[in-house]
Amino acid sequence: MEYVLEMKDISKTFPGVRALDHVQLQVKPGEVHALMGENGAGKSTLMKILMGIYTKDDGGEIVFNGKPYNVSNPKEAMDTGVAMIHQELNPILDMTVYENIFVGREIRKNGLVDKKAEIRESKKLIEECGLHVSPMETLRNLTVAQCQLIEIIKAISVNAKVIIMDEPTAAITDREVELLFGHIRRLKASGVAIIYISHRMDEIFTICDRISVYRDGQYIGSGDTKDLNESKLIKMMVGREITDVFPKLESQIGDVIFEAKNIIRQDNKVKDVSISVRKGEILGIGGLVGAGRSELVEGIFGMHKLASGEIYVKGEKVTVHSPKDIIKKGVALITEDRKVTGLNLSGTVNDNIAMVAIKKLLSNGLYSKTKARKAAQEYIEKLKIKTPSGDQIVGNLSGGNQQKVVIGKWLLNDPDIIILDEPTRGIDVGAKRDIYLLIGSLVQQGKAVIMISSEIPELMGVCDRIAVMSEGHLSGEVMREDFSQEKIMTLASAIEV
Amino acid sequence: MKQKRTAKSLMSEYFIFIIFAVLVIVLTCLKPSFIQPTNLVNILKQASINGILSFGMMFVIIAGGFDMSVGSTVAFAGILAALLGKGDYPLIVPLIVALIAGLVVGIVNGVGVAVGDLPPFIMTLGTMTAVRGLALLICNGKPVTGISSAYQAIAASSIAGIPMLAIFLVIVIIICAFVLSKTVYGRRVYACGGNLLAAKVAGINTTGIRISTFAIAGLLAGFCGFLMTSRVTIGQPTAAESYEMDAITACVVGGVSMTGGIGRPWGVVIGALLITVIANGLDILGVSSHWQKIVKGIIIVLAVLIDVKGKSKKN
Amino acid sequence: MKMKKFAALLTTGALMVGMLAGCGSSSNAEAGSAASNSGDSKYKIALIQQHQTNAFQIAVTEGAEAKAEELGVDLTFLSADQDAATQISQIEQCVSEGYDAILFEPVDPDGLGAAAKAAADKGVVVINIVSACTDWEDYGISAVSYGDNVTAGEEEMQHVADLLDGKGNIAILTGPSGDASGLQRMQGYENVLKNYPDLVQVVQPADCQWDTASAQSTVESWLSAYDLDAIICENDGMAVGAGNAAGANSGIIITGVDGTPDGLEAIGDGRITGTVSQDGAAQAANGIEAAVTLLDGGTLESNVIITTNIWIDSDNMSDYE
Repeated sequence: MEYVLEMKDISKTFPGVRALDHVQLQVKPGEVHALMGENGAGKSTLMKILMGIYTKDDGGEIVFNGKPYNVSNPKEAMDTGVAMIHQELNPILDMTVYENIFVGREIRKNGLVDKKAEIRESKKLIEECGLHVSPMETLRNLTVAQCQLIEIIKAISVNAKVIIMDEPTAAITDREVELLFGHIRRLKASGVAIIYISHRMDEIFTICDRISVYRDGQYIGSGDTKDLNESKLIKMMVGREITDVFPKLESQIGDVIFEAKNIIRQDNKVKDVSISVRKGEILGIGGLVGAGRSELVEGIFGMHKLASGEIYVKGEKVTVHSPKDIIKKGVALITEDRKVTGLNLSGTVNDNIAMVAIKKLLSNGLYSKTKARKAAQEYIEKLKIKTPSGDQIVGNLSGGNQQKVVIGKWLLNDPDIIILDEPTRGIDVGAKRDIYLLIGSLVQQGKAVIMISSEIPELMGVCDRIAVMSEGHLSGEVMREDFSQEKIMTLASAIEV
Repeated sequence: MKQKRTAKSLMSEYFIFIIFAVLVIVLTCLKPSFIQPTNLVNILKQASINGILSFGMMFVIIAGGFDMSVGSTVAFAGILAALLGKGDYPLIVPLIVALIAGLVVGIVNGVGVAVGDLPPFIMTLGTMTAVRGLALLICNGKPVTGISSAYQAIAASSIAGIPMLAIFLVIVIIICAFVLSKTVYGRRVYACGGNLLAAKVAGINTTGIRISTFAIAGLLAGFCGFLMTSRVTIGQPTAAESYEMDAITACVVGGVSMTGGIGRPWGVVIGALLITVIANGLDILGVSSHWQKIVKGIIIVLAVLIDVKGKSKKN
Repeated sequence: MKMKKFAALLTTGALMVGMLAGCGSSSNAEAGSAASNSGDSKYKIALIQQHQTNAFQIAVTEGAEAKAEELGVDLTFLSADQDAATQISQIEQCVSEGYDAILFEPVDPDGLGAAAKAAADKGVVVINIVSACTDWEDYGISAVSYGDNVTAGEEEMQHVADLLDGKGNIAILTGPSGDASGLQRMQGYENVLKNYPDLVQVVQPADCQWDTASAQSTVESWLSAYDLDAIICENDGMAVGAGNAAGANSGIIITGVDGTPDGLEAIGDGRITGTVSQDGAAQAANGIEAAVTLLDGGTLESNVIITTNIWIDSDNMSDYE
């Protein structure tokens, strides 16, 4: 048997949309197989069919382990031997680690839940994974990365023959990524096949054996990783050549426009950090997940109480009690989790864009829909937001376009300093490039940008200067001419002395 | 740092217990007869019907739902039990009919919410109104009198000084606590309320679980109807008005999260006792019953405030 | 999906309409039979009750029904379900449907005057039963027929005072705070208590919402802390609850108002001492009679028709069961 899983001639039609058009996928036992393609290419749809969440159109077949494979829900898929780690995390926050690992397939003894056995098993799995949490801990008290690893443990523990990993590294640190890759290699060795979905090229080339590429619901082709390179892949995905992944626009760097001095947060997650940014400059903030990067900007922005620290905008000292105070001074924060703090997902594009700068859109003191529509239209064009109209519900847009809506919302307020927290998380190559260009054009207009990212290549490609944080401290700064991956990594993993 | 967090969460977890203890001490000091055995028996009797309802409500709320209809269901089942409890049939007949009536209302709620995808509030508001109408309809608006003395004895009798009503309550508490904490089903109820999508993806039959929680609430409401008629010796179509609010209060005060997924049985026990003790204590003090409302309201808000604060600190 | 939901809604709707039609036709049949006995009915009369959900209100319905049959008028019942706005639109509806007379029990003493006036101005005979609108004569209301809640309260308390020889510890259970008839009964209690300084209220009156179970709990609590000689309740439902808490023949005097079946049952087995019956049936019947008299062109002896209260206890209860 050459393939453990074969999906042949699969189509899926949603009302009005052909999401998949006679596509295929072959996965060998013990390989890591990357699925690549831009958002909307049909990867997720294909995987949802595999998990039994969607039913495929008639025709086509799925063969698993040499037998026809027909499942109608995720539980059946898992029982058959296919597990999935979802892109949108699925933890039950108020349950404990062991309860989450065994949810839906509890260990039973005499018909009751065997807590002791579950705790014992979880402990073993957690230790194997190199994670240091108690099985009795509530997930609410864990970090996003820890939660994600719990999800991975969950999938590993069902003894699946095929594990689908949808953006498994989106929220975890490099150290944890290494641990994950260790697990993937071990799973491979035991004959488990991994279907790996990621936008991060470096990961694909590190861990994957073969790659299948999809575009607009069509199957484009497959190949061994060693026969492919980044530009070939991008060409397959995008359908055209993209020469520079990180376009850098020239801009004039001027005086310091924003300065935060000796920031200490009351919860001690940020310890005495000072940063500044100049007009026309892009300052990157690097570091591992949990180093305090988001905590720093959220502290500056008045979302958390500071124990001490001074903030100067355009040379003027600002006392920040709440975000309102600093927004007034022309600072914008585009948060990491756009679904929680960035967007009203059930509102329209127009409503969302109008949210911050609503005062500009009043007519006789009342909210003017006409003005909002006009303003939104302007940003839809400027930012190339792919939406049928401004009246579209934001929740229906792709991740990249949602991110553009968040940015548009803040730009309408015409800020001078723009802070972006992981602006390209979970969005595809084409949309990422649009966002880099946008950031470039902002600094060309004399604005200043602070950008947090976990992807060092991205920071190196886009920023003029990178400040690196480690364990709540600022561990160093690197100028563009001195950029190197090693230097930044060393600073990021610097331990407090 | 970690210890501080634990202290805070301990505080929020045992807050209601502290309030309860303080209330008992204060009432005892103000009126020593509060702690007399006869009054403790009263408290048990008075807590039992609301307590049983609260446990049904707890299942629904933990699974992420909400049930406005239990009060009406108590009245409806109570009327049916009264009509059948006049001595013409063995007592098991009114009991079974009351249970079935409650169960049916519960299943209708559950299907509306889990299958029909209606917001629980709207669905059960509908059944609350309709079932109250049914209760009025079957007895033509008049209270049903003349239930047999054997039936009256169920609520009036006691074993070794402990009223039967309280014994029923304890049985319900033990069964519910066991189901929630020990069985696979209980675990899945928490999972549904904690994150419905995650539960679905994990292969849990979320529709079934959600329907079943409403069914349990209905079943227990039916049982309460049966007991209620025995206790007040008549079947009243207007009985148990707004009992759902007391049940919800007991849950919320006892630490059951209105967003689902959180709640411990002993908290609800304290919640139900607390409500009874407020009413009983203020009755005993002989103060105006308007005070009861004020005190109850303050305690609800305080309890939830502490709960929310305790949680946000952890985040 | 949307279609499905719509279909489901439609089905439910159809069901509901069917049910309502069913109920409606049965009551129409009753009303119709009342009329058909005397050939063509003389008048079309509407009776709008506050609600139809307790024994007292059912007695009102039955009393009116019997009187309508006797006089050969076509009588229709409506229930305002305790809602003043509903009652206003019901009055308007009855006017436009050409009723000759409208009898109603105002849900709110102050809110229904204008609607009554509008009806009276159109030549409809308007009569209040059970309770009256404030300044009812100014609103064109021709007559009121009620039992007086104040005298009912006085009578109840007077019996208690007599039974206790004017001395003892008493407690009072009230209806929902702010309820008009409850307040009037309380007024009656106070009028009597003035004369008996040795009748002591040892606790504040408790609001038990007319509810048996709630009264039962409150009295249980009281009895564990207080020595009570009498418990005076503003209705029978609460008196039954108090009686349940005290037990049969407890020696505590427990009284109510209404004379409903559950109250009578409790008098029968000694749980409660007695009740003041307001005779809802007579209030309604007198109202119908007054309406017919006025429609016939006659005049009333008095446009305030007060139904006498009856004290019912174990001696005379067999007459009322």
